[in-house]
Amino acid sequence: MSLPSLPTRLEGAELAIETRSVRKRYDPGAVALDGLDLQVPTGAVYVLAGPNGSGKSTAIRVLLDIVRADSGTARVLGIETTSDPALVRAQIGYVPETSETGYESFTVERFFRHHAAFFEGWDWEYAGLLCRRLNVRYMESMERLSKGALRSAILVTALAHRPPVLLLDEPTDGLDPVAREEFIALLVDHLADSPTTLLWSTHHVHEVERLADHLGVLREGRLVLQASRDEVRLRLRRYRAGVPEGWTGAPGLNGQVLLREGEGREVALTVWGEEREVVERLAAAGATVRDAVPLSMEEATLALLRAGSDA
Amino acid sequence: MLITLSLSDSRPIYQQIVDEVRRAVVLGTLAPEDPLPSVRTLAAELRVNPNTVQQAYRELERAGVVYSRRGQGTFVALSERDSEREALAREVAERALRDARRYGLEPDELVAAILRAAELDLSLPTSTREQP
Repeated sequence: MSLPSLPTRLEGAELAIETRSVRKRYDPGAVALDGLDLQVPTGAVYVLAGPNGSGKSTAIRVLLDIVRADSGTARVLGIETTSDPALVRAQIGYVPETSETGYESFTVERFFRHHAAFFEGWDWEYAGLLCRRLNVRYMESMERLSKGALRSAILVTALAHRPPVLLLDEPTDGLDPVAREEFIALLVDHLADSPTTLLWSTHHVHEVERLADHLGVLREGRLVLQASRDEVRLRLRRYRAGVPEGWTGAPGLNGQVLLREGEGREVALTVWGEEREVVERLAAAGATVRDAVPLSMEEATLALLRAGSDA
Repeated sequence: MLITLSLSDSRPIYQQIVDEVRRAVVLGTLAPEDPLPSVRTLAAELRVNPNTVQQAYRELERAGVVYSRRGQGTFVALSERDSEREALAREVAERALRDARRYGLEPDELVAAILRAAELDLSLPTSTREQP
């Protein structure tokens, strides 16, 4: 896999979450994390994207010390996760990938009371408000809840204590489109009222397009890109260009082209770089650039995941 | 004030908010001393990160388009409407130039085309023209 040199470090930001060279393999053949250097700035809405099995959930579990890394370190709010897991977890609102809570026999209310006991900042009034917005009823038994209502109940437990750090692992899985919209609206309100660092793992990147200010793309246990949304918007573009028959490419852009589509006299190149420079180099190679458009975060993620694999 | 965002726009979201507020000021839909919606309200309305709205408001304040009164919110500043118009025109021109470059057009070709299009526009009966 040969990938262009893309930024994978955030310079100068104060970090709420940081892992250094975290490695984890579950059994000899299966590497889950392969030297992960995750950097989530304080107050960021950071989207961690990647296909299933790329290590997203493992990364989040390492932050909670539910999974121990084989090597490397992880810090949340400056605290090493293995040194004081209880203190770290008390700062985190967590929505796991799975909705199997282990409390199926509880009512929603009892499930909440169980959570409230762990979190000093638990706010019953806020929990009630969240439940009204998400249509969760206190007296319902957990095992009788629909898939979406169960998911919503879990979301409430993550938000109701207004933690400084939110770790959401595919949080909207199982929500219908209306509930999903409501959840995102609710999250916007939450972020406006409570200073929060949010790490959101998903393969539905388009859902968080408007919220995200940072993007990390995981492939096979390592980040192929970690950057601010604005930087991605500025530097990653799809160029349509007219080219002579049999055009072989622009040597000046060596290592910057993620994807090439199209044959014949018009091609589309997805390139990382400064637009003016890219256009100049394409011109120098005999290509005439017709337009250059920034990619949506979803398109950018797809390009980064496909880059180097179909060449 | 109506703010419209486009995710496929090459401008970052905060910049789009900045531009939309400036546009509203120039059009007069936002008058001096008018309050801007709170960060929370606008973020909720646009479904964007509140930090992004905050960033846009900071930018607008730095440019002197708005000012904030502690505890009360953000308000449109008294500004030279002419200079605002000029600034907006410059931004529109820069955007058009960038677009032109993409299509391989030279600035003078663009200017000539704009003048021709404006002439054509003026020769049409006013009812078919877009009302400001």
